[in-house]
Amino acid sequence: MKRAGAAQRLPEPPEGEPGARGAATRAARRTALALAVAALAALPWIGNTVLVQFGISVLLLATLAQGWNIIGGYTGYPSFGNSVFYGLGAYGVAIAMVQYELPFWVGMLLGLGLGVAFAGLLGLAVLRLKGHHFAICTLGLALVMTAIVSNLEIAGGNIGLVLPLLRSEVLFYELALGLAVLATLTVLWLSRSRFGLGLIAIRENEEGAAVMGVNTTFYKVIAFMLSAAFTALAGGIYAYHITYIDPVGVFDVVLNVKMIIMAVFGGPGSVLGPVVGALILSATAEVLAARLTGAASLFFGIVIVVAVVFMPRGIAHLVRHIGPAGWRYFIDNVRTHRL
Amino acid sequence: MENILEASGLTKRFHGLVAVHDVSVQLRRGEILGLIGPNGAGKTTLVDMVNGTLEPNAGDLVFEGRSVRGLPAYRRAHLGIGRTFQIMKPFPGMSVLENASIGALFGTNGGERSIGRAREQARECLAFVGLGRRIAQRADALGGPDRKRLELARALAMRPRLLLLDEVMAGLNHVEIEEVIEDIKKVRDQGISILVIEHVMKAITSLSDRVFVLHHGEKIVEGSCGEVLRDPRVVEAYLGRRRR
Amino acid sequence: MVLLLQVLVSGVLLGGLYALMALGLALVWGVLNIVNLSHGALIMLGAYATWFLYTGAHIDPFAALPIAAASLFALGYIIQRGILNLVIRGPMFNTLLITFGIEVILTYLAQLWFSADFRTINPSYAGSNHALGGLTVPYVQALAFAIDSVLTTAMWMFLLRTRTGRGIRAASQNLVAARLYGVDPKRIYALTFGLGAALAGVAGGLYGTVSQINPYIGGPLTAKSFVIAIIGGLDNPLGVIAGGLFLGVVESLTALYVGPTYRDVASFGMLVLILIARPGGLLGRTA
Repeated sequence: MKRAGAAQRLPEPPEGEPGARGAATRAARRTALALAVAALAALPWIGNTVLVQFGISVLLLATLAQGWNIIGGYTGYPSFGNSVFYGLGAYGVAIAMVQYELPFWVGMLLGLGLGVAFAGLLGLAVLRLKGHHFAICTLGLALVMTAIVSNLEIAGGNIGLVLPLLRSEVLFYELALGLAVLATLTVLWLSRSRFGLGLIAIRENEEGAAVMGVNTTFYKVIAFMLSAAFTALAGGIYAYHITYIDPVGVFDVVLNVKMIIMAVFGGPGSVLGPVVGALILSATAEVLAARLTGAASLFFGIVIVVAVVFMPRGIAHLVRHIGPAGWRYFIDNVRTHRL
Repeated sequence: MENILEASGLTKRFHGLVAVHDVSVQLRRGEILGLIGPNGAGKTTLVDMVNGTLEPNAGDLVFEGRSVRGLPAYRRAHLGIGRTFQIMKPFPGMSVLENASIGALFGTNGGERSIGRAREQARECLAFVGLGRRIAQRADALGGPDRKRLELARALAMRPRLLLLDEVMAGLNHVEIEEVIEDIKKVRDQGISILVIEHVMKAITSLSDRVFVLHHGEKIVEGSCGEVLRDPRVVEAYLGRRRR
Repeated sequence: MVLLLQVLVSGVLLGGLYALMALGLALVWGVLNIVNLSHGALIMLGAYATWFLYTGAHIDPFAALPIAAASLFALGYIIQRGILNLVIRGPMFNTLLITFGIEVILTYLAQLWFSADFRTINPSYAGSNHALGGLTVPYVQALAFAIDSVLTTAMWMFLLRTRTGRGIRAASQNLVAARLYGVDPKRIYALTFGLGAALAGVAGGLYGTVSQINPYIGGPLTAKSFVIAIIGGLDNPLGVIAGGLFLGVVESLTALYVGPTYRDVASFGMLVLILIARPGGLLGRTA
């Protein structure tokens, strides 16, 4: 197997004593991020409905990419089964609200519980597989779940479920924003905690990590459950927002590929990369869809191919390393990775 | 002197091939025990069984008075068994400092809880093996000898009570070997017991309190360096039977 | 009893087609270590090539197969040489992503050229059967099965006996050593991917004679090919045949005894269980 995560860089170890300048930039960065979040929170009162709709979709995708980042980017396990957690979260809300007439937040808890429990149980079995085998096994899980849910009466079978309508875009937007921020803060914590370093060690060399005292099975399963939690909550918000779900729609494997593309495009194993990746790719897709109604998917495909060829390590790496090399950065990427 | 490690009747088979057969050996606290033998004698397999990378098919393993058989590798690391690998297993994308920090964060007794203190501990170990100037480099940017040093520093950062060294001197030049020998002596002076596998005979003779020899997976001799190296069975194992 | 036998016969005939679909995927995966997410799209293009030759130039679908294979070979060769060779030493995600991107592009182009409508390849003999002691064997499917078997055997012989075949196997074992013996990896990789695409092309042509096609059939066919490659392992084409037959029979039996909607539960559930229980595939090692 080719090493999945070799390309990612770790946060630079602070060299020597953190100087006053370092502390100042960090404080500045923190303030800038807080302001950015505040500005985003204010968006529904400034922007129009179209923008708010787009915001909800981007924030949910950012959460999904961030959730994938935990298991795929940090731990190095390329999950193609995260759409299962999304589907479980969506169906948790739908079943609670439609079949039992429970409030939305109970449904969210149900979806969260289903997703996390599923990740815990399945994780114990599938996280022993590595590389392509893990990827394909989780893909298989996603397909099995679609087929099983299509046959479940409580989930409305093939037809799906129609949820009660709630016309409050602002509420959905703020919920999605809160979740995306929470996911990003969790990843930020991962990037500088003992637990996160354990995950990175697993990604870099699992056997080496175990010999040095990392309880690899436990760490991997917890990472998978964490990833599932955010993904399931995003699924729950989506279901109530869109008001209609069916198995093929929410257990969609293509959605899973999207999460990966956004995380990898942004920079797997980085803190802000997946969010930036989700924003840029969604915006590109939106603009393409508006300008070239028919050819949007063609250009989306071309963007993926070109991005993988010329910037295989994602935006986070590009921003940090392009420097004075300029366009030669892209050529050098091709040089290192070609046959 | 009490024993820190007691292996009795360890046996490991791979698909019917016996790699290690009925090996019993004791390591005393604070001692350096040398393990030698021709290529393919089962030395690394034995070390793998001690640290939990492999499970033996038969036999028992007692570390500090309790059986560790069946415990996963990370639990044995928590108990204080650290090791280096002949084929090194660094974390390639991490910096040299982060590599050693993992040992400090997760090693004996579950390691340090604070990343700052773990980094401090890792820094000390890296300085000790002579990598003090390279801590910010990526591990995969290191050359061969420095990788060996990193492997040793990572194991030391775990603060082990028993250290298993699998050919840490292979590929080093004379000067470097001298340095590592001095390092290992200092490690022992801190009270760490050491099992050392080495092909460099000079290292074995200048380090080991006792030596044992594996040949075709069996222990053939055990004793002081002088005795073992003069033993005709050892000569035969290394040079082959003399034709008459 | 007759019903059971009939189901088994259909299962085996379906399985032969499945095996051929998976063969190209397994070849590319085993030799190049690329899990080609665009494999299904290549099958889809093979089906359209055959359909186009049949409806446009009135070439019998079975006679059109070699032309479909040749065009797909050329396409595959270009994809590997021009794109995949550029990223092959990068992280594993990247080959998955880039082949997904290629799938999106191919699907779009197919929809542009052939429209999203369902198409069928309907030669005059499409509906005829052969009755065999109470069992019905459709001619088209039997012929498809025969072609599958011949091609799979030929593939194996090619890998085992010819110089290029040996070069491919050497490249899959150890690229550095293969280079020392005069194998040009760029060419060998492109050849291998081209062969995988050609096999997909033939599989697509045959798929078109037994089933409806549209531009979106690629994704599910890729998934199914995975399942088979995993069951059979990547070691040799015989494993893939066994995997294909096994899956065909299991799907047919599930459809009969449990219900047609459970077909996918059976095949993908089997994939998951097999991977968990035997990561090397049911039959031997994987790359």
